[in-house]
Amino acid sequence: MSKNLSALSGRQGLHNNLFERLGQLSEPTGAPEKEDLQKLADEFLVGSANVYGAATFYDFTRPENKGKKIYVCNGSACLAAGTQDKLRANLSTHFSEEEIGEMCCLGRCHENSAFHYQGHNYSGENMARLEQVIAREPGCDGRDKYRVASRGRAILSGPALTPAACSQVVETLLAQDPENLLASIRTSGLRGRGGAGFPSYFKMDACRKAPGDTKFIVCNADEGDPGSFSDRYLLEQQPLLVLAGLMIAGYVVGAAYGVIYIRAEYPESVDIIEKAVADMKSQGLLGEGIKGSHFNFDIKVIKARGAYICGEETALLASIEGQRPEVRVRPPYPAQSGLFGKPTVVNNVETLANLPYILTQGGEAYAAMGTPKSTGTKLISLDSSFRNPGVYEVSMGTPLSVVIEELGGGFHREVKALHIGGPLGGLVPVQKIPDLTVDFESFAQNGFMLGHASIIGIPEEFPMIAYLEHLFAFTAHESCGKCFPCRLGSVRGQELLHKAQTESYQVDPVLFNDLLTTLEKGSLCALGGGIPLPVRNALQYFAEELSPYFQGSRQAASKPANAI
Amino acid sequence: MKKLAYINDKAYEIKEGETILSFIRRQLGADYVPTLCDAPNLEPFGSCRVCSVEVVRSGNGHPKTVASCHTPIEEGLQIYPDSPAIQTLRRNIIELVLTDHPLDCLTCAANGDCELQTVAAKVGIRQVRYPQGRNHLDRERDDSHPYMTSNLSKCINCYRCVRACDEVQGELVLSMAGRGFDNRIIKSMDTTYAESECVSCGACSQACPTDAISDVFSMAALNATDTVRTVCTYCGVGCNLEVSKRDNQVLSIKAPYDAEVNHGHTCLKGRYAFRFYNHPDRLRSPMIRRNGKLEEASWEEAYDYIATRLSDIKAKHGPDAIGGISSARCTNEENYLMQKFIRAVIGTNNIDGCARVCHAPTALGMQRTFGTGAATNSIEDLKHTECIMLIGANPTAGHPVTGAKIKQQVMKGKTLIVIDPRKIPLTRYAKYHLQLRPGTNVAVLNMMLYYIVSEGLEDKSFIANRTEGYEDFRKHILAQNIDELEAICGVDRKLVREAAIAYASAGAAMSFHGLGVTEHFQGTYGVMLIADLAMITGNIGRKGVGVNPLRGQNNVQGMADMGVQPHLGPGYLDVNDSAVRQLYEDIYGVPVPEAPGLKVPDMLKASREGKLKALWIMGEDVIQTEPNTNNVRTALESLEFFVVQELFHSDTTEYADVILPASSFFEKSGTFTNGERRIQRVNRVIEPLAGTKPDGQIVVDIMNRMGYPQPDYDPAQLLEEEISQVVPFFKGVRWDRLGENGLQWPVAEDGSDTKILHTTTFKIGKGRFHFKEFEESRELLENADQFPLILTTNRGLEHYNSGSMTRRTSNPRILSEDVLLLHPQDARKRNIDDGEIVTLRSPRGSITLRAKISEVVKPGVVSTTFHFPENYVNNITSSVYDADAKCPEYKVVAVDIEKLAVSS
Ligand SMILES: Cc1cc2nc3c(=O)[nH]c(=O)nc-3n(C[C@H](O)[C@H](O)[C@H](O)COP(=O)(O)O)c2cc1C
Ligand code: SF4
Ligand code: SF4
Ligand code: SF4
Ligand code: SF4
Ligand code: FES
Repeated sequence: MSKNLSALSGRQGLHNNLFERLGQLSEPTGAPEKEDLQKLADEFLVGSANVYGAATFYDFTRPENKGKKIYVCNGSACLAAGTQDKLRANLSTHFSEEEIGEMCCLGRCHENSAFHYQGHNYSGENMARLEQVIAREPGCDGRDKYRVASRGRAILSGPALTPAACSQVVETLLAQDPENLLASIRTSGLRGRGGAGFPSYFKMDACRKAPGDTKFIVCNADEGDPGSFSDRYLLEQQPLLVLAGLMIAGYVVGAAYGVIYIRAEYPESVDIIEKAVADMKSQGLLGEGIKGSHFNFDIKVIKARGAYICGEETALLASIEGQRPEVRVRPPYPAQSGLFGKPTVVNNVETLANLPYILTQGGEAYAAMGTPKSTGTKLISLDSSFRNPGVYEVSMGTPLSVVIEELGGGFHREVKALHIGGPLGGLVPVQKIPDLTVDFESFAQNGFMLGHASIIGIPEEFPMIAYLEHLFAFTAHESCGKCFPCRLGSVRGQELLHKAQTESYQVDPVLFNDLLTTLEKGSLCALGGGIPLPVRNALQYFAEELSPYFQGSRQAASKPANAI
Repeated sequence: MKKLAYINDKAYEIKEGETILSFIRRQLGADYVPTLCDAPNLEPFGSCRVCSVEVVRSGNGHPKTVASCHTPIEEGLQIYPDSPAIQTLRRNIIELVLTDHPLDCLTCAANGDCELQTVAAKVGIRQVRYPQGRNHLDRERDDSHPYMTSNLSKCINCYRCVRACDEVQGELVLSMAGRGFDNRIIKSMDTTYAESECVSCGACSQACPTDAISDVFSMAALNATDTVRTVCTYCGVGCNLEVSKRDNQVLSIKAPYDAEVNHGHTCLKGRYAFRFYNHPDRLRSPMIRRNGKLEEASWEEAYDYIATRLSDIKAKHGPDAIGGISSARCTNEENYLMQKFIRAVIGTNNIDGCARVCHAPTALGMQRTFGTGAATNSIEDLKHTECIMLIGANPTAGHPVTGAKIKQQVMKGKTLIVIDPRKIPLTRYAKYHLQLRPGTNVAVLNMMLYYIVSEGLEDKSFIANRTEGYEDFRKHILAQNIDELEAICGVDRKLVREAAIAYASAGAAMSFHGLGVTEHFQGTYGVMLIADLAMITGNIGRKGVGVNPLRGQNNVQGMADMGVQPHLGPGYLDVNDSAVRQLYEDIYGVPVPEAPGLKVPDMLKASREGKLKALWIMGEDVIQTEPNTNNVRTALESLEFFVVQELFHSDTTEYADVILPASSFFEKSGTFTNGERRIQRVNRVIEPLAGTKPDGQIVVDIMNRMGYPQPDYDPAQLLEEEISQVVPFFKGVRWDRLGENGLQWPVAEDGSDTKILHTTTFKIGKGRFHFKEFEESRELLENADQFPLILTTNRGLEHYNSGSMTRRTSNPRILSEDVLLLHPQDARKRNIDDGEIVTLRSPRGSITLRAKISEVVKPGVVSTTFHFPENYVNNITSSVYDADAKCPEYKVVAVDIEKLAVSS
């Protein structure tokens, strides 16, 4: 993260955005041309190395992306569902190997067989209708269906906020004193839904108090965790709720600009939010002096370009600036020095979507839901291993078994473990389900992590060793590469587990433990630091299944034959 | 109450704002905690994680592992920097690094100077337990560049090079490409050093902890037996250099991190352009002209000959028939001796120096307004200023380390005003570029003054308390005809007005000027108006403000301080004043002359007129550097006796009767005074090359030979016994006190120095406003009809002036010729293609150059550098001088160009 690059990119502000321009240059062929990058560098007064370096980072702007026509999901849910080999085989009848790329999780974890073609996502049955998809036949737009329901009060999953209701929310907002509203957010006990569960009040307060006139509020809509699609639900089915939340947060922290950074793997979300922003504009809910007040607020929608690490907030900010999205050290925290070096709050989609309720009903009403430490409700996404895949809203503290059995309808295939909270979340063996309630504390106390609360079922027959290799491979692919432990350790971890499956090789458990500890303690961010959690869970709960792959227990001969 | 934190349960005092790493290092030494991505001149980055430590917050909580380099210290924190868990973690990280690193230390060029090797040994790594996996050992070397090399198979991805290029040099040449494990360092868009936009500053090479990025000299440095700290001679920035040597050879140069001037940075001249020092071309024996031919002679013969000839001429024509030109490349002590030799031994005030061609107008102009001809502030003030005004200077080429510092500020958005006829590289980042016609600084500055006054933006209390002559000045300023001035300078008045408002309304505004202000017919007035701008806005006497000349040569400031001026002796004391002469006489023990002497152009003129018979030049190639070469040749031809001290043969030595081979700055000690008045120690790195002597010793020898007892050249002694006694602002200067980082004059008796001048009063009491209206240069009045283009000369980064040193290094591989920049419009009119050889004509003569079509210049203006003597750029420059300071007008030459006629 370079201060010079932040400032130089910031000169053009958000109107002429370096990252957006970089992305646009990649659209015609999949990767920008060097001459165009040079011009871009000159225009933004940065080095050609900087724009080239940034372009080579993202899955969808790097040179390797050139000529890719169709993208197959390689996310954990589709992997566990075992649908992607068949999908690939189908695709290869229409596309050459070079034309098929990969994308990590399209938010179609409830249907799987997910792929992306010309700006649209497809899943489930579409695989069987490739000709129609390619021909763009009507009725073949890839639209999917999943269940949405709630248990208890539905503050996120109720009927969508209408434009008129949104206008009402804005009026209520403008009548409020930002300080009071901030106090109300404090009372609400709202904690970040992006994974870390950090009290939202603190960041907003720090940003509000930070010196400077220019501040930013950023909505993190990069929902990268394979298996989760609850943010996608909000973006596509509750867009005004999210945008109103963004505006409320902007009002509280003193930002005149909100940015919503949406992952490229959710093309429909981008379209819907863009349209919603345009509608708000035409309704006079955005711009200067909104509804005759002194409040100016505008929203910029930025489409990401394929990098899980951009979900990490400092990488996300660097990405918006057109820098390489590498995690940076804290302090300074974004609330002190964030986007373009200005005080900034980054909030998750779901976090922001809670704000209209807090605004209209008050912090106490919100705090009355959930547990004392984890207030409010939580959205949970269930993948296709459940009878009723979908997005469910429950009060914090709801038993996990209730979610699984009552809302999810139980599993429709035999499952041995649940991967909850994204790739960095814990691997919960089914026997631990009764011990857990849906809140940050319960998961942490049991050695797991609620995270963003997506749930993937690992089928009984799916080799745990292969799943662990997948997690290392995911980390290796998504590592920003800045810190030594994660850049090197993720690759070495994958190599060890791969070798153990394909050769008569057993991993030295001391070495493996050293590797996990190095990642855990040494990594700069929670990607490298987080991956040991599910791995250790597996080592603990699936020790027997994994033992043939490690020295000191049984012999290599007892590995499943197909693994060698 | 002291605030404490604990290292291994022992309490130490903390400093507010420091990191855990700097806290531990401060208490337990720099090597206590191993690091790889940390570097003294870079911001904390946190990539290697080797600096991890365990901490326990307040009381007996659970120990937590944090990276010490970017975690702030807190009161009461308990730190365990080498617990067993930490030792294991470090070892395991290094083990991972070694899984992707060639294990060929013994044959590696960095063996013995590799931080990875040191850290690996320190953490006690025994083996790599991982099976062979993916790696990057097959990356190719890059040897495309004369100095920079890379071998990225050794790269550990610490980003230090990228950050150095960004945070120190501001060039943004390097970046990472790719992602994760495949991250790799790239130059520009993945090209070689030679093809990239690299300016060869070497910051990346110095930053790299391994052999991954290096330079062609660093391997040799491993054999060094010693390093010596000295000061660069290539410009007025005065970078400190750490020179590695062995057996009287210079092996390589690094920049010390603790140098206050350059904080671990240099430019390619300081770091790499040192191989001239033992070039075969170096003069190694005195030479005497016998029967029209220069022949080798012994020092004794040469001295005898000189003493006899000078004594004869003095006896026959009087002392004023002799003149001396001293050198801003030489030390303070040598300059002091040179002027003493001319004044006390020869008995004339005909002493001047090469600064005549550069900053004489600065000295004079600032003297007239403030009473002191020196930068008012320090370069570090860049951090505190809000607005930077750059006039007639191109610091990224001429003063590269200061240029880089300015760049760091303006890239981050600080207001920059550039007043320059050319689009210098820094204009990229400027808010305002007043691209005036060459020679119209006075017009533009007057317009700025007009707008500041008419907008009521003057600092009234500063004007009332600290200045005089304002009312009159104000009347003149307001009476100017803005329409006329706008037409003259060719800059939109709106832009001038905005820039003036930006300068005047900044909380602190700082100006820098260079030869684009001084080398003009109205050079001195330009400087005075810059000083007026500072005074009228109260930008004097505080942090982040002032008038700051960017000195061309390394010791321009010191040369003037030491009395190398025909009317002012050491300490700027007026030789006309009998009390002053008394002071000098008390120290010199002989009478000193009263009548002011001749300036360089006057000496040359006097020679042409047969009045000056003998001339002594200490290290300047006047044929190349003085304007209107043919006039200079005639002057030298007319001399009866001509002595030159030099490193190399030059066009000027061709005319010498005696050539004395001098030692380079590596071979002698003394002090230089940089552009911010910082007197720094130059330390001898190697013995003088056989057959040469330091300039100071040569002067001492001849003084003795001519009957004046002067002890051998010893800078420490000379400073203590003479210079500090005569130069008031050197009162407290002693060799030992100067330390590593020098002192900024005035230095009081107790040794305390001065970062900012004029904080409460000016040397002349109140600052004096002087109005000067614009006047067109005679050069254009007389010649513009026939020669419709204006040539303005400038310098390139890679070469130093006439290039006598830099051309004898590998620098010509980077920049190999002087080219003529001309605007596409002018090129089209004359049917000239890019790269074509053209003839450049002026009323004095013509030269040929390669044309480069460029929008750096505007229509009607062309520019070229003058580093390659074969071009004789000064064949065509004019004989117009600044009326007062006699600085030649190199920056405005009436010319025309045409395609070179094809000779058949
Ligand atoms: C590797 C990594 C990926 C992340 N991905 C996301 C993400 O996709 N969406 C998100 O909201 N937060 C993500 N986060 C968390 C953000 O860094 C940040 O904490 C969050 O956006 C803050 O918003 P909140 O306080 O509303 O949760 C990620 C963090 C890490 C370390
Ligand atoms: S842990 Fe991985 S993703 Fe996070 S900063 Fe380190 S290399 Fe980047
Ligand atoms: S030598 Fe200087 S300019 Fe060139 S790449 Fe290295 S740091 Fe950048
Ligand atoms: S080239 Fe050197 S400085 Fe640059 S990342 Fe590699 S090891 Fe670090
Ligand atoms: S900036 Fe000047 S003093 Fe510093 S290294 Fe370059 S030429 Fe030498
Ligand atoms: S859509 Fe494939 S993992 Fe989510």
